[in-house]
Amino acid sequence: MRKYVLKRLAQVMVILFCILTILFVLFRLAPGDPVSRLVDPEMTPEESQHLIEQLGLDQPIWKQYLIYLKNCSTGQFGYSIHYGEPVAKVIWEKLPNTVLLFTTAVLLSAMVGISWGKIAAWRKGKATDLGLTIAALVTHTLFLPWLALLLVWVFAYQLGWFPITGMVSDEVWMDPEAGFFTRAVDVGYHMVLPLTTLFLIHFGSYLLVMRSSMLDTLKEDYIVLARAKGLSERDIRNKHAAPNAWLPVVTSVGLSLAFSINGGALTETVFSWPGIGRELVFAVSHNDYPLAQASFLLISTVVLLSNVVVDVLYAYLDPRIRY
Amino acid sequence: MRKRGTLVAKYYKSVGFTCWFAAAALAVVLLLGLAPAARAASNGMLRVGVLEDPKSLNLWLASDAWSNRVLGLIYQSLFVREPKDSKLVPWLADGEPVYDASKMTYTVKLKPAKWSDGTDFTAEDVVFTGKLIKEFKVPRQSSKFSFIEDIVAVDKHTVRFELKRPKAIFLTRTLTTPIVQKKQWEKLVAKSRKSEKPLAALLRQGVDHPIGTGPFMLEQWKKGVFVYLKANPHFFGKGQTMEGYKLGPYIKGIVFKVFGTADAAVLALRKGSIDFYWNSIQPGYLEQIKDDPEIKLFISKKSGLYYMGFNLRKPPFDDMALRQAVATIIDKNFIVTRILQNYGEVLHSVIPPGNTFYYNPDVPKYGYGLSFDQRMKQAYEVLKKAGYTWEVPPVNAQGQVQPGKGIRLPDGDPMKEFVILTPPADYDPHRAMSGQLIQEWLRAAGMPAVSRPMAFGALIQKVKGQRDFDCFVLGYGKLSLDPGYIRSFFHSGMNKPNGWNMSGYESAAYDALATESNNAMDPNLRRKMIMELQNIVMTAVPYVPLYNPTIIEGVRADRFTGWVQMLDGVGNIWSFCDIKPK
Repeated sequence: MRKYVLKRLAQVMVILFCILTILFVLFRLAPGDPVSRLVDPEMTPEESQHLIEQLGLDQPIWKQYLIYLKNCSTGQFGYSIHYGEPVAKVIWEKLPNTVLLFTTAVLLSAMVGISWGKIAAWRKGKATDLGLTIAALVTHTLFLPWLALLLVWVFAYQLGWFPITGMVSDEVWMDPEAGFFTRAVDVGYHMVLPLTTLFLIHFGSYLLVMRSSMLDTLKEDYIVLARAKGLSERDIRNKHAAPNAWLPVVTSVGLSLAFSINGGALTETVFSWPGIGRELVFAVSHNDYPLAQASFLLISTVVLLSNVVVDVLYAYLDPRIRY
Repeated sequence: MRKRGTLVAKYYKSVGFTCWFAAAALAVVLLLGLAPAARAASNGMLRVGVLEDPKSLNLWLASDAWSNRVLGLIYQSLFVREPKDSKLVPWLADGEPVYDASKMTYTVKLKPAKWSDGTDFTAEDVVFTGKLIKEFKVPRQSSKFSFIEDIVAVDKHTVRFELKRPKAIFLTRTLTTPIVQKKQWEKLVAKSRKSEKPLAALLRQGVDHPIGTGPFMLEQWKKGVFVYLKANPHFFGKGQTMEGYKLGPYIKGIVFKVFGTADAAVLALRKGSIDFYWNSIQPGYLEQIKDDPEIKLFISKKSGLYYMGFNLRKPPFDDMALRQAVATIIDKNFIVTRILQNYGEVLHSVIPPGNTFYYNPDVPKYGYGLSFDQRMKQAYEVLKKAGYTWEVPPVNAQGQVQPGKGIRLPDGDPMKEFVILTPPADYDPHRAMSGQLIQEWLRAAGMPAVSRPMAFGALIQKVKGQRDFDCFVLGYGKLSLDPGYIRSFFHSGMNKPNGWNMSGYESAAYDALATESNNAMDPNLRRKMIMELQNIVMTAVPYVPLYNPTIIEGVRADRFTGWVQMLDGVGNIWSFCDIKPK
């Protein structure tokens, strides 16, 4: 196992190097450049040139690439061209907000999706199965910004139950006497609508994967044997069928958790959620190379490592798998 | 049967558990969440909706409009524009500057004022700011100080600017530069000086709590969520009457709330979560809110310029007659009435009419007030006279307008297809739609025009960097009231990659007059020159000015009173110093 993990980690390093290079090339090939964003009619050509030199944007591409590789190898991702702040600082300011919302959404969707998928498979062909499957398909295929705006319109604007977007109430966070609990509750309150949107969009995929996997499992001989042994239906479902149906779901949830650091630009924009997804889109559209490269690199690293973790987890979940 | 019953019960128990769990979690969050929100309403705090955070609180880096909204209330300048006629009036300065022509110096007296940390604002701060800008060649600022030989603190409240040569922008731009506190910045400057790249280091200095002399000071910034400015107890203008306004601030503070979309911000305004949406409301929203008694709309003139530019470096746009004909064919009035839904004005010059002092109302107005047929006939005459021919002319032998086809250049070659680049509709629907309309009008005259939306970054790179284009539709949302940009846009020295003369217009006479106007110290003389420059440009037509949208801003009518409307809207320092809670 140790040999396998080391081998996989070595692979990850090679892939990361390739990603670093591809990212560098892709951003330079993309239309637009940071220079035309930085200069404006208020600046004289001399000022523009001076600024470009100072920011190192006048260096030849190969030199920029070498500096970039050197900096990445030492964990230095440079300064955001737009914010003038270290890239790591910009990312770490936004990342926890994204992780909080999207990881919660993945876990909630997975919990409910798996549970309902199990039930749908167990009740195959019945009204419950039909109802849950249709609900899953309908919500999963909804257009996210439309659903998000609809929820804001109904529950925030018309009914006034929830705030119109945002992550916190300024009144609470400006109050020096507000303690941790009050602030946590305030964030939770603001999370309800985005969380509901993400839940409605995503629980269906887990439900369908679990249902399909469970249906395969229910055909296995050991289920017949369990019935023959006179075990209760609940035990057969929960202790014999469900654990064996988890494997594909584990992959799905593992990767979704990894991708949750990526956030979702649409969700974050509609709900004014200050997360990394919006920042990423902003960095790409404004040719903020250092910020965009570091963000993508972070996402790639987490996804690659989570793949390794999922593979290792397989061996624990399924005794048939050995590395 | 009994077994089935047990199963169903267990199944419902399982489903029920999940549902109840989710419902309970929601209810708890909802109920507990409502408590802090309920005690939210507080008097005297102005809540302003914005679409972006400040880029930075480092004044020298923060050049964007969103940062300026916040920093403009913290850092102040010696002179500001007054609301009525946008004339410059003393702000931190005490009276008009005194010019000594023999020594070429300006002496400016300063008002007694304090920084927000309670220390005195002195001439040393002004000297420090000027020298910092010159030493580091701070972008957007250094050209305002490049012609200044020295800045001297005569005494605690007197500064003398010693000029190398006369320069018109001294009054309009140099004296409106925001002043920073020497005490706060000298350490940052010393640190930056040690760097291999001092300007980059200066721009990257973190300024968590900017200290200014303005009516507000930073209290808290939760990035991506809100910025809280509270009233500055040391504000020099408090209680003073300037330009007829007895200055406050009369509010406890301002909270800038960041919204991801204009939809959310407009909903928040209607719901009362914000008191003012500091951005122009698109006409599409107006149907919903114009009859809302709780919302008051302010429609203000803007100092903007949206235009179509030609590439004069290559045929056929190197021909002035063709450019004049195109300008004649374009129906600007149609663009304003149909695309802008009348929330805008037709432009005839590159300086918008809102800039009342420098605007030239007598420039050539191509096709203005004419019907489609009249415009087409006029353009046809111009082109025919210049030697253009058609397979099917847009005006037939009987003088009737018909769809033109196959225009040929004066040398007999058919005109090649040309592209009008525009930003994409999701970036700016007005410009994208204007491009489409222009394409159709030009095709009606037999010209093979194609309008093509392009990602904004790519468009700028193509037009400004590579200069590889035929025509483009671009714009400036907020031009400076100093018309110095007219030189940048059309001076031959700016006709180079990444220079501001994107069209490639070159004229020695224009260059000479533009440079002279930049050096003119007498505002009236300069005005005359700027008027003439507009005339030259609008005769040569490297740009066809199209429109200038108006700013539509919405405030809650039931919360605050005393908004001051001026060019570019009610979001200005006079408003924030004057508004009072109802």
